[in-house]
Amino acid sequence: MKLLQCPVNGTRPISEFTYGGEYREAPDPQTCSDKVWADYVHNRHGAPGLKKEWWYHGPSGTWFIAERNTLTDSVSRTYLFGQEKDA
Amino acid sequence: MQRPVLRSPAAFAQEALKPERGVINQMMTANSFADPATEAEYASRLSLCDVSFLQRFGCKGPAAAEWLSAQGLPVPEQANHYVQQGVLRVLRLGNSEFLVEEEAGSEQLAQLNQTDVPERVHAVLRNDAAFVISGPLVSELFAQVCDIDVTAELEDESRLVMTMMAGVSVTMLRQKSAEAWQYRVWCDGTLGAYLWQTLLTIIQELGGGPVGANQYFKSI
Amino acid sequence: MTLRIAEKKGEWINRDMPLTFTYEGQTVQAFEGDTMSSALWAAGIKVLGRSFKYHRARGLLSFANHDVNALMTDGVDTNIRADVIPVSHGMELFAVNTEGGVVKDKNRFIDRLSPFLPVGFYYKTFFKPRMMFPFWENKIRKAAGLGKVNFDYPRQLRPKRNAHCDVLIIGAGPSGLSAALTAANHGKQVILVDENRYAGGSLGYDHAADSSTSDKLETLLKQVSEHSNIRLICDAYAGGYYGDHLVPIVGKEGITKVRARSVIVATGAFEQPPVFRNNDLPGVMLGSAAQRLVHRYAVKPFHRGVVVTANDHGYRTALDLAAAGVEVLALVDMRQQSGDEQLAAAVASKGITIHLASCIYEVIPSSDKLGVAEVVLAGYDEQTASARFERSSRIACDGVAMSAGWAPAAALLYQAGTKMRYDYAVEQFVPAQLPEGVFAAGKVNGVYDLALRLRDGQRAAADAVRYLGGQDVEQIEVAQSFQLAPSHAYPIVHHPDGKNFVDFDEDIQVKDFINAAKEGFDNIELMKRFTTVGMGPSQGKHSNMNAIRILARIRQLPVEQIGTTTARPFFHPTPLAHLGGRGFHPHRLTAMHEWHVNHGGVMMEAGVWMRPAWYQPQGAKLTAQEAVQQEAMAVRKAAGMIDGSTLGKIEVFGQDAGAFLERFYTGKFADLRVGSSRVALLLDEAGVMVDDGVAARLAEDKFYVSTNSSNAATVYREMQRNLQLWGMSVTLVNLTGAMAAMTLAGPASRSILTELTELDVFEEAFPQGAIRTAEIAGVQARIMRVAFVADLAFEIHVPSSSALHIWQNIMKTGQPFGLRPFGTDAQRLLRLEMGHHLISHDTDGLTNPFEAHAGGLLAMDKAFFTGQRSLQILAAKPLKKQLVKFVLDPGFSAELPKECNLVINAGQITGRVTSIAYSEYLNRVIGMAFVAPDQAANGQQFEIRTDDGLLVKARVVQGSFFKLSAQ
Repeated sequence: MKLLQCPVNGTRPISEFTYGGEYREAPDPQTCSDKVWADYVHNRHGAPGLKKEWWYHGPSGTWFIAERNTLTDSVSRTYLFGQEKDA
Repeated sequence: MQRPVLRSPAAFAQEALKPERGVINQMMTANSFADPATEAEYASRLSLCDVSFLQRFGCKGPAAAEWLSAQGLPVPEQANHYVQQGVLRVLRLGNSEFLVEEEAGSEQLAQLNQTDVPERVHAVLRNDAAFVISGPLVSELFAQVCDIDVTAELEDESRLVMTMMAGVSVTMLRQKSAEAWQYRVWCDGTLGAYLWQTLLTIIQELGGGPVGANQYFKSI
Repeated sequence: MTLRIAEKKGEWINRDMPLTFTYEGQTVQAFEGDTMSSALWAAGIKVLGRSFKYHRARGLLSFANHDVNALMTDGVDTNIRADVIPVSHGMELFAVNTEGGVVKDKNRFIDRLSPFLPVGFYYKTFFKPRMMFPFWENKIRKAAGLGKVNFDYPRQLRPKRNAHCDVLIIGAGPSGLSAALTAANHGKQVILVDENRYAGGSLGYDHAADSSTSDKLETLLKQVSEHSNIRLICDAYAGGYYGDHLVPIVGKEGITKVRARSVIVATGAFEQPPVFRNNDLPGVMLGSAAQRLVHRYAVKPFHRGVVVTANDHGYRTALDLAAAGVEVLALVDMRQQSGDEQLAAAVASKGITIHLASCIYEVIPSSDKLGVAEVVLAGYDEQTASARFERSSRIACDGVAMSAGWAPAAALLYQAGTKMRYDYAVEQFVPAQLPEGVFAAGKVNGVYDLALRLRDGQRAAADAVRYLGGQDVEQIEVAQSFQLAPSHAYPIVHHPDGKNFVDFDEDIQVKDFINAAKEGFDNIELMKRFTTVGMGPSQGKHSNMNAIRILARIRQLPVEQIGTTTARPFFHPTPLAHLGGRGFHPHRLTAMHEWHVNHGGVMMEAGVWMRPAWYQPQGAKLTAQEAVQQEAMAVRKAAGMIDGSTLGKIEVFGQDAGAFLERFYTGKFADLRVGSSRVALLLDEAGVMVDDGVAARLAEDKFYVSTNSSNAATVYREMQRNLQLWGMSVTLVNLTGAMAAMTLAGPASRSILTELTELDVFEEAFPQGAIRTAEIAGVQARIMRVAFVADLAFEIHVPSSSALHIWQNIMKTGQPFGLRPFGTDAQRLLRLEMGHHLISHDTDGLTNPFEAHAGGLLAMDKAFFTGQRSLQILAAKPLKKQLVKFVLDPGFSAELPKECNLVINAGQITGRVTSIAYSEYLNRVIGMAFVAPDQAANGQQFEIRTDDGLLVKARVVQGSFFKLSAQ
């Protein structure tokens, strides 16, 4: 099975992790239209490519972001939220 | 009212083995499971010991490291490391969560548990099931219950890992000892009975067995 | 006459340990180390099975587990691969798939019916007349399939183990052995695995009568066994390749999951048969099979035989046969010329006649059709793939060794994502682009010369070491050249009467491909499925390459444009016990678990937890229904207590704690008074209800939040994530396991509690929704008034380690008041009586608060909370459905409708039942259901359709169930 590298705990088998959905910036609920909001809530990018994803390491309770090419299933880097620049 | 005598989270799974028991740190504890010769035999192969009775203190928060230091405790600099000072062991579990455990009945930990924590430090109530796994066959056991290469990950004695064992989340470290095959495992107490039973089944298949607290804490 | 010959160096049998077994009732002598087939063959028994479709007699083909001609049962296990499984003393073996024994198989006449059973016949027959179909179905089901399942097969535990290494090398033939030594010498930890009983691969049998080969093998094996960096595992195969170099190694005792940092695939190649009429008779076998018989088991494949070949391998085989004492009557080469001149000269020097540009047109069976009588030789036209009869002859013999080429054993390479290309120099697929960390060596890499294979192993290992970050690793080149390719491009001999087999598992002949193409099934995927080529137990190991070649010729396309089908794990059939392993099923137990068990608790799994569903009082014999009603009645009339330790419990600290909860949940918490609690309703971004717990304020900067048991992990996780996104100054502590909880409920609960604590628990001091901290029986506790199962109820939270003490004290104190423990079944009934919905039981993945009467929990005037924006949109739309409480008619005594039974209105579905139960206390059947908004008014009638199609009348209740009149 796949291995994933938690920025804090190191490389672990994927069974230790929970997928948390694609990392997406929400539109400002106060100013966006209903249409934009509904698109954000219900629609997702289906096309394969490099995506930012939320992943959670269960045993340590660590949330982080992984950049994964969903076509080749290879992860280029992982980092804690807000620490993208140091990754 | 009388303070209640506590029970180890793994006690339920130990009933059938009818250990000889005593109270340590207010917890009814299995002191031995068999005569010393038998327990020594287990220890020479692979043994499992329930040390849930050890005193613990947990805390987390942005000022936790600072505060522990101020209490005179050694604080590991990096996450997933631990430091041993005398009878105290300080584990850094995440960026700002700590577990302090005490080997024998010193007063330091009892005091810590009474001390009020300041702002930006939060006490974490713990209910650990804690075991010592020891013996030359330990890597056989790990091969069956852990996907990661435990012995390689814990070759550095100051490291700890948070991973899965037999399907449950655990914290593990290698304990400094003469034989270099002694490991410590902690898991959530509600899974203690399950983990004890699961590990013991495999340990017994490998020719080992359970040992009581007397094995390690003869002075108590 | 026995075919066993004198002792061979390196043989796998132990002549000091003879044993006997029976086959089809006949006693057979063998040695320890013999496989079932080798022992039978040595004894002159050549009919090892009957083929799947036509029930033709079969013997050895590959003798390497690349075919299933010999499948046997020992009475316990079935479909045993007799070619490769060792025989043991006392075994009683029978061939599978026969009726009346393998020789007198009653179904052998099917072979004569074969003209009526062309490829795909079952797609076109048996369904007219329709009523006859069940008859045919029954017949076909009995005829199809191989061995019979033994339903008393013993249950065995086969724990899985994990292993780790730097380099995993699959295949311990010459390439694998030399790769292992190179990698190990560079300091790498190597696991070397081979499916055979002993390592060595073709070095152990492909000698061409050159004894230096076995010396070479002995040296390599010694070096490997003495090297501390190499762990050699034999008798185990690599099942498949999984992400990031995870390879399960399947051995007899179980699976070892190897996580390697790099993998070298040195798996060799499957020998492919030339295709000619009756190439499947017992006695006709692949050249490598003959060599294995001779060198591993010291058995002659036949006494007097012919070798037919379309490559140089036949020459090597002929030399090994001659050295073993076989009379080789001819070597038939389908090519215009021999390849290696030295080999040809060696063969000729043994007095063996070489027939170039010739083929075996057909094999003539013996009169009993169970063996070879003679072969018909003819000239061979490579262009038309047909025999030429200008010169033909017959040779009487009892066996044929046949060779035509190789197909790489590349399944694991494909699974790893390797791009392969067809190399015309070797006439086989070879790796073109390997994934990172994966390497190939030897025959699977298209390298055939022995010296070059050894070198290729070194090269692959050097590449692997370099990949792992090795410095100063030598660059090794391997260059090879051939006169003629090791594989033949089209080793087929057409015959008007067919029975020239391509796939021996499925009885597929050449004309089957032609017919399939005629029907339009002419691409490789369709061809495979229509003909079933490669779909048998061998999964195409001995047949896929020939199938591709035939299809390419039919389509007039180059081989590489035909493509290959996908080889999926597992490489060989793997027992379910191995795949199951030990199976870890964690269970969480509360601190009171033992108490529940000792007091008649009927324990059931609630997620990962064990909880009592109900209790069987000591000495009683209640049904579940009776117990549940009694427990519920106790709560209504006296008192009951339930273990609620499974609740999620989270402490939320910090100066932003209140603000955090206001963003996370729908309600207001910033202004919540210390000592009070509020419902904490959690929505997702779409406004759908996710969890409803309770949040209580213990201090200005400290909240204690509880969640539904099933949502504990999810809520904590989402809190953690949102905390990061919102950047607030809050600390979260998950106390779900560290704290235990129990709810004491009912009119007597206050009286019981007051005896155990100094706290004032009366109404004014301790109103609904309040939280207090106090000592109960000497232990610090948090107590909340929560009206879930009853109006008067106290939810007590204590550290788990002292929970049992509290529980026991309460039970003891409560006994005179009639206190009873109650389980989850009674809890479900009690909350229904109280009119409370259960999220994800009464609500689903689409239910928003407006549909569930939870509008009152929404503080829409807050600046932000999760789901708020969606609720704004939803609020403007008309409701689609409403969750309502209902009752059935008083005195209803028919069978209860079930949860999920539909609500029908004028022939349309307008909703469904979500909860329903009989309440003894109310003497009524009560429930909850989704109905259309216009059916939701108080007193409104609607109908529920039961499973039997009956319509049951129900009536909406908008107020409390407790205020129902007898109406």
